[in-house]
Amino acid sequence: MWLRGNYNYFVMKKYQLGEFEEVVMLTVGVLYKEAYGVSIKKEIETRLSRGVSVGALQTALKRLEEKGYLKSFDGEATEERAGRPKKYFQITALGKKAMEYSKSTRDELWSAIPKVALDLKFGV
Amino acid sequence: MKKISSNPPLLPIRLFRWFCHPKLKESIEGDLMELYEERKVKSGKLKADVKFIVDVLFLFRPSIIKPTEGYQQLNTYGMFKNYFKISTRNIFKHKMISFINVFSLAVGLAACVVIYLFVSDEQSFDSFHSKNKNIYRLDEVQKFTGTNEQKVALSMPGMGPALKRDFPEVQSYVRFWQRGKQLITKDDTKHLIDNVMAVDSTFFDVFDFSLVHGDINTCLDRPQTILLTESTVLKFFKTASEALNNTVSWDGKDFQITGILKDVPENSHIQFEALLSMVTHTSGQNNVNDSWGANWMTTYLLLEPTADIKSMEEKFPAFMSRHMDDPQVNINYKLYLQRLDEVHLASNDIEHDYINYRKFNGSYLTIFYVIAAFILLIAAVNFMNLTTARASHRWKEIGVRKTIGAKKFQLFGQFIFESVMLAGFALVVALLLDVLFIPLINDLIGRNLAILPLFQNVWQIAAVLIGTLSLGIVTGIYPSFYMTSLNLSRVLKGGNKGEGKSVLRSTLVVIQFGLAIAMIVSTLLVVQQLSFMKESDIGFDKDQMMLVNMNNEANEKFETIKKELQNQSMIKGVTASGQRLGNNFHQWGFKVKADTGVLAITPSNVNVDYDYLNVYGIEVKEGRGFSKDNLTDNGFAFIINESFAKELRLKETIGTRAGHDWYHSDSLGTIIGVVKDFNFNSLHYKVNTLALVVHPDWGYSELSVKIEKGRTEEGIAAVKKVWDELVPSYPFDYTFLDAHFEEVYRSDQQMSAVVAIMTGLAILISCIGLFGLAAITIEKKTKEIGVRKVLGATESQIIFLLSRNFAILIIIAFVMVSPITYYALHRWLESFAYRIDINLLVFAGGGIVAFVIGILTISYHTFRSARANPVKALRYE
Repeated sequence: MWLRGNYNYFVMKKYQLGEFEEVVMLTVGVLYKEAYGVSIKKEIETRLSRGVSVGALQTALKRLEEKGYLKSFDGEATEERAGRPKKYFQITALGKKAMEYSKSTRDELWSAIPKVALDLKFGV
Repeated sequence: MKKISSNPPLLPIRLFRWFCHPKLKESIEGDLMELYEERKVKSGKLKADVKFIVDVLFLFRPSIIKPTEGYQQLNTYGMFKNYFKISTRNIFKHKMISFINVFSLAVGLAACVVIYLFVSDEQSFDSFHSKNKNIYRLDEVQKFTGTNEQKVALSMPGMGPALKRDFPEVQSYVRFWQRGKQLITKDDTKHLIDNVMAVDSTFFDVFDFSLVHGDINTCLDRPQTILLTESTVLKFFKTASEALNNTVSWDGKDFQITGILKDVPENSHIQFEALLSMVTHTSGQNNVNDSWGANWMTTYLLLEPTADIKSMEEKFPAFMSRHMDDPQVNINYKLYLQRLDEVHLASNDIEHDYINYRKFNGSYLTIFYVIAAFILLIAAVNFMNLTTARASHRWKEIGVRKTIGAKKFQLFGQFIFESVMLAGFALVVALLLDVLFIPLINDLIGRNLAILPLFQNVWQIAAVLIGTLSLGIVTGIYPSFYMTSLNLSRVLKGGNKGEGKSVLRSTLVVIQFGLAIAMIVSTLLVVQQLSFMKESDIGFDKDQMMLVNMNNEANEKFETIKKELQNQSMIKGVTASGQRLGNNFHQWGFKVKADTGVLAITPSNVNVDYDYLNVYGIEVKEGRGFSKDNLTDNGFAFIINESFAKELRLKETIGTRAGHDWYHSDSLGTIIGVVKDFNFNSLHYKVNTLALVVHPDWGYSELSVKIEKGRTEEGIAAVKKVWDELVPSYPFDYTFLDAHFEEVYRSDQQMSAVVAIMTGLAILISCIGLFGLAAITIEKKTKEIGVRKVLGATESQIIFLLSRNFAILIIIAFVMVSPITYYALHRWLESFAYRIDINLLVFAGGGIVAFVIGILTISYHTFRSARANPVKALRYE
């Protein structure tokens, strides 16, 4: 079935994080102990001013959890949630490594860009 | 929890709950609810609803949808996997036993599939008519003085129209006037068309034969019109459209082709190549619509669905009296209705049944079912015996499973699962066997069975699967019960349950061999009866007799043809007759002037050439044969058979005045001879009273040419040469009389072929079962044999000891099954008027064959263990 079993494919690519996945990871980090579906969604929407569908978000969360970058635990059930528990997310050690890896690769790329190139680009 | 005032739309929620992965369901639903509440407060219910729906729809993605196989194994999938694994291991560990199990079940199933194909082919006859439930054939039981009571498929031309008028139940009728093989011409193209018949214009109202070209409502309405089947049309015209409304000639007259029929399906008992409109014969002077007295049409009635057949039949005598002014009418004729589906399968006792293609004896289908059940039973017995005999191999496993906590029911299920698995496996093998062997079987039984249609019908596939499943379950029940009934402590100790001697196992062997013996004996007897029919002296010589179809010209030139042919060295005799041997001859009135007055009798009659008796080798018992030298022998001399003479009970038969019933009593002919009874009809029937007469002016239908044995090809060529020279108007068309007799006994032949094949299979399955069982039981006695040998037992003593039990079982089987078989065979033989006596030696033979095969089968094991070194035997375990 879909996405079950071992993810050798992802491991091989070493800390592969998609753009949206990275945003989600970062947001989970920002929210720290308050990261659950709705709060993550809102945080992304307000901070990045882009729409996020519940489906896209949940898919990303599930994938990240399966990769071992996030772990989840059930929280309290509230009235407005019709008695359904919140599912809180936390970054795992592996997740931290992945984020760091992602950041460092970008930094490397950034630093590798000749200044002229950027100047030119902005100049146009 | 506070009740939420207004909820999100129900349908999306349900949808979401349905597709969502259960692990995610709770929290995502919570998120959705939270968002919904918020949005509702912010922008109103409608917007919130819409957004909710959009959210749900966007959630419909692979990672959120629950996996189809279930996210949590709440099912017993793993258990079945384990069963499967253990079963497979067991199958491959004991290859011989597994092979026997699978092979016998496979052969059994394969045989059943073949029988099913055969039976369903037979039962498909005439099922394509949409009104088939309401179509009946009008038959008669005829009882005339001096002739055997007989059922006939003929009726009088007047009956159809009168029934329609007199009975409101009759929606429609259609009459067939069978004209047989006819010469149809178009300019210079001449073809003999096999089945030409005239039918009423209601033909298409009753039957669903399809018309490709032409108007289905009017094509049979006018005289001198004809319908041809597609393949017939192409014999005369290039295309069907060219043929439509064109003409062909028959009997010197032109007929307009008003329609083209699709070729008649193989599973129709009515077969035709050309249909003439009945109105051709009913318009003008010779209107037969009100013809009573003579039966020469076949009438089918389409009744109202509500019609009560019984009450209709009760009204038939009154109906007959109304239309026929004859006090004898209800003694001579009893009308009855035969359901359409019975015409093909239940007409074996009906004579003068000329429109009945591939007529089959339906009671043989029951025999086939019984045989199929026997074979399956024999195969199932193998499985049961071998599994229970080897139960000890599984005890440790059962013990462990029980210790872990398996319930009896679960263990039971495991073994049932195993047998179902084997049955499924056997089904695959069976279908492969069928694919391989059906062509061979077709050759043996003269059929055209195909396995493919089996898979074109969902119900049939389902039936096959369900059948296999139930076979697996049924065969599995006893072994499973046996295996699970053991007490845990005994099982773990490797305890014994008296495995060596099992009454039930012995009983099963007895049943198995009983069935095999019954089938062997039946086969022997059936073959005997059939060869009796083939070889018994039927009173005339049917070998090497060529029959050539004659027309008017051939009749006119008959003497010349005869002379030409007689000059050929390989031709032993030439004669002609009005009807072919192998069926009942037409019956009509005959009168004999006895001392007491004129006797009216209705014998079978046949018009023959002068030397008919000589050529056919029919023995004259009294008086003389026909002679050309006697002028009155033409039409005024009669030769009757012994049965007829006996019926007349005259003091002096020869010289008695007699004639056909239209002869004036003052100008009768003479009985000039009595011939020994010969079986002009099939041996299913007693010899009827018969009168032979020479009537060249009536015309003969067939020339009989006796050809010397071994020179058949030469003879055919010679006759053809003469024919082509002398009869240009009619193509040379011949057959052989023995081929015709093959056709007469086809139903019996096929039955015997099927029974023989199935018997072979039954013996095969029984023997491999016995082989396996012997292997197991003898293996268990290894120690005993070792001890006996050490103590001085000889090899032969040990072989005797080992064979004895099996021998006793086979003998018991024989004793039990013989009386039942005797009774069944006796019943079957009663359907033949001429039959063999059941020779008890056949039973002895069948028993001995089974016994010898059985003992030989186990001899492999008995010899091996008897000759083995006792040291090895004692080291065993």
